[in-house]
Amino acid sequence: MNTNFIEFKNISKIFPGQQALKGVSFSIKKGEIHAILGENGAGKSTLLNILHGVFPPTSGEIFINGDLVSFSNPYDAIKSGVVKVHQEIILVPEMTVMDNIFLGFEETRLGLLDRRNLRVRTEVMLKSLGCTFSPDERVKDLNVGEKQMVQIAKALELKANIISFDEPTSSLTNKEVETLFRAISQLKQKGLTILFITHKLDEIYRICDRATILRDGEFITTYEVEDLPKEKLIKSMVGRDVAMFAKRHRDCCVDWQTVVLKVDKLSGARGFRDISFDLHKGEILGFYGLVGAKRTETMRAIFGADPRLSGSIEVFGKSVNINSPTDATDNRIGLVPENRKEQGFVKEMNNLDNISLASLKKFDRGLLQDNKRKWKNAELLGKVVGLTPNNPAFNTSSLSGGNQQKVIIAKWLSTDADILIFDEPTKGIDVGSKSEIYALMEELVHQGKSIIMISGELPEIIGMSDRVIVMHDGKIAAILNREEFDETTILAGAVGGRN
Amino acid sequence: MNSMKFFKEYNREIGLVIALIFITVLFGSINPLYVSIGNITDIIDQTTIYGLMALGMTFIIIGGGIDLSVGSVLAFVGVIVANMLTAKIHPVICILAGIAIGFLVGSINGFFVAKMKLQPFVATLGSMSMLRGFAYVITKGFPIINLPSEYRKMVDGLVYGNIRASVIIFLLVAVICHIILKQTRFGNYVYAIGGNEESARLSGINVDRYKILIFALGVSTSALAAIVQVAKLGTGEASAGGGYELNAIAPVAIGGASMTGGRGGIIGTVLGALLFSGLKIGLIVIGVDPFWQYVATGAVIVIAAYGEKIQAQFSELRRRYAQSR
Repeated sequence: MNTNFIEFKNISKIFPGQQALKGVSFSIKKGEIHAILGENGAGKSTLLNILHGVFPPTSGEIFINGDLVSFSNPYDAIKSGVVKVHQEIILVPEMTVMDNIFLGFEETRLGLLDRRNLRVRTEVMLKSLGCTFSPDERVKDLNVGEKQMVQIAKALELKANIISFDEPTSSLTNKEVETLFRAISQLKQKGLTILFITHKLDEIYRICDRATILRDGEFITTYEVEDLPKEKLIKSMVGRDVAMFAKRHRDCCVDWQTVVLKVDKLSGARGFRDISFDLHKGEILGFYGLVGAKRTETMRAIFGADPRLSGSIEVFGKSVNINSPTDATDNRIGLVPENRKEQGFVKEMNNLDNISLASLKKFDRGLLQDNKRKWKNAELLGKVVGLTPNNPAFNTSSLSGGNQQKVIIAKWLSTDADILIFDEPTKGIDVGSKSEIYALMEELVHQGKSIIMISGELPEIIGMSDRVIVMHDGKIAAILNREEFDETTILAGAVGGRN
Repeated sequence: MNSMKFFKEYNREIGLVIALIFITVLFGSINPLYVSIGNITDIIDQTTIYGLMALGMTFIIIGGGIDLSVGSVLAFVGVIVANMLTAKIHPVICILAGIAIGFLVGSINGFFVAKMKLQPFVATLGSMSMLRGFAYVITKGFPIINLPSEYRKMVDGLVYGNIRASVIIFLLVAVICHIILKQTRFGNYVYAIGGNEESARLSGINVDRYKILIFALGVSTSALAAIVQVAKLGTGEASAGGGYELNAIAPVAIGGASMTGGRGGIIGTVLGALLFSGLKIGLIVIGVDPFWQYVATGAVIVIAAYGEKIQAQFSELRRRYAQSR
C-alpha cells in the first residue's frame, strides 16, 4: 500500500493580519477516509482550499502519488482528479441533474450534445450511488442532500481519485446523512481517497479511518480512529497557550435575582430546537459552538429577524411577542450582527447617520429632525465607545474593522437597549481593538446592561463570560458556570462528545 | 464647512453646474438664440414636467427601487383630472384628487414590491401597462378637451414676467423634497433602506412600511406632473407621457444617484433635469435632426452612469488608502 498518497510538506499560509497555517506536514494514504479535525479557525478549510487550488500556499509543497502538484485554480485540480464537494452548493439551479453533471465537460457528436448517451450514463451512475431522483430533474427542485449526491456523481464522472468534503452533514436530515455515508463508503470501495472535515465526533467514528488534528494552524497529530478514546481526541483539539488576553478586569456584577430575558423551548425553521435559558442583569452570557451549531440562527429568531416555530420569550418578566426586529428594538434588545459589512451598517452613510439609525425617533422635532442634537449624541457615544478618530462626519466604511464595530455598538447605545446580542464581536478585528471591545463590554454590564455573546473562540468565551451555553447541532449541549469553565469540557459539548 | 469639504461633499453637483455652463456656452456660441430669454424660459418650462417626475423618482431610486409606471401615471391621472374638470368640479378638488390617486397608485406599486416581494422592475412594468390601459378605457381613445381656462391659469399661468405658476410649483416641490430627504427621519430611512436593506431591518426599521411610503411619495410627484401637463396642453390624453419613464429616470441618473440605491440627492436631480432639457432644446436650436436627439440623450445617460461608476471606484480607492494608513 502506498502510505503517502497525498503528502503535505511544510504548508504555511499567511493572510493579511494572520497566519492561517504554520508549516503543516502530514500524509494521507490511498483509499482511506481521512478526517481533518479542529476548532473554528484551526486552518482546516484553508488547507483544503490550498489542495484544491483556490489559493496557493505562502510556502510548502503538496505531493500526490509522488508528484509535486500546484494547481493554480480549482479547474486545474478537477482535471487532475481532485474534486471538492462544496459546503455551499455550486450547481446551476435551473439546469437538470444531467446537464449539471456534464457542465463544462460536455461530450458532443457532430457538434451537438450527445444527450442519449449522457442520459444512460447518468442513470447508471445515480443508481449506483443509491439516488432515487431522475437525471431530468432540475437541481433547484432537489434538497441539500440530493444536491450533494449530484456533486459526487459529477466528481465520479470526472474520474476523480481524491474527493474532499467540508462539513457535508451540517444541513442534512438523518436520512440524508445515511445516504451520503453509504455513497462515501462506496467511493472508498472504488479506491478513491476521501478527505473529510467535520465537527461531529460520531461521524468520525462511523466512517473515518484516520483523523488529523489541526490547532491554531499547526499540525498536532494523526490518529488511527479505531479504539481511539474520545477524551484523547478532544484534548488534542484544545490545549493552547494559557496566555489569554481576553479577560475580565473588574468584579462580577451579575444580579442573579433579575432575569432580563427568559427564553423557553424556542425552536425555529432554521434547525435549532428546544432552546431555553435565562439572561440576568449585568451578565455576559457566552454562546459557544462550532460551525453549524445554529447559534446565530437562534439569536436571529430571538431578535425577530427569522420566524420561530414554537417557544416563548419574556423580557423583564413580561411575555413579549417578537415577530420583527422592530418588535425587538421596541423591547430594547439590540443585535450586533456577525457580518458587519452586510448587516451591521450602511456603507454609504457616515458615522452620524449609522449611529443614529436605530434611534431616529428620539431626534424628531415636529416633522423634521434635530440635527444638532443628533450630532452631539453621535459625538458623545463615539467617545463612550472609544471611536478614534471620533468624527461623526467620517464615512463608516472607511474605518478599521474595530472602529466599525464600535459604531454599531454606539448605534445600540443610542437606543438605550438593555439587552445586547453580540454575534462574534471581535471577528476580523485587530488585537488592540479586541481588548477595547472587551473593556467596553465589561463597562456595559457594569452599567446594568446584559450581554449575550456568541463566539467561536474558546479563549474569548472563557475569558469574558459569566456563564457559557454550549450548543451542538441546534440544541443546547451544556450550560456551564464560571467555575466549571474548562476548554475540554466546553469543546466536548460542542462536538457532541458528552454523555 | 471649509472649502475642501464643500468640494468633496458636492463634487457631483459642481460637475453638473460646470456641464450646464459648458452646454450653454457651446449651444449659445453656435446659435445665440439659445441664450435668449425666450429660450431659457422654454428650457425651464420643459424642465417642470420631467423635473417633477424625477423628484419623486429620486426617492424611489435612492431607496433601491425603480418605477417604470410613471409615464402611464401621467396619462392616467391626466385623464381623470381632465374628466373631473369637464364635469365642472372645482379645480382645487381636481388637483387634490389627482395627487391622491398618484399616492394610491404608488402605494400599490410599493405593496407589490414590499409585501409581495416582486422585483420593482417587473411590478411597475405591470402597472405601467395596466394604467395606460385604464387611461384608454376611460377616454375610449379620444382626447378630453374644453378644460376651464381658470384651471389652466391657476396651474400654468404667468405669475411674474415670464415665470409660470408651474415653475414655482416645481421649485417649491423640489425644496420640500430636499428637506424631506435631508432633514427628516423618513429621509434617513430612504438612504438606509437603499444602501443596506438588511442592516436597516436589523436596526428595527419597519422596512416594508417605508418602502410602500417611498413609492407612494415617489409616484405622487408624477401625478403632480400630470396636473401640470394637462394645464399646459389643455387636454387630457391617454397617450400622454409615452416613454416618459426615461425622462423621469434620466435626470436622477445624470444627477448622480446610484441605481442600486443609497446615494443621490435632490439638488443633483434638479441640475440633471435642467441639463437634460437644456440638451434636448439645444440640439433643436442648433438644428440637429430631431431623431438624433434620442441618440444624444441616450449617450448622455450612459456617460453620466459611467461617471457615477468611476466616482464610486475613486471613493473606494480613497477608502482603501485611508484604511491602509
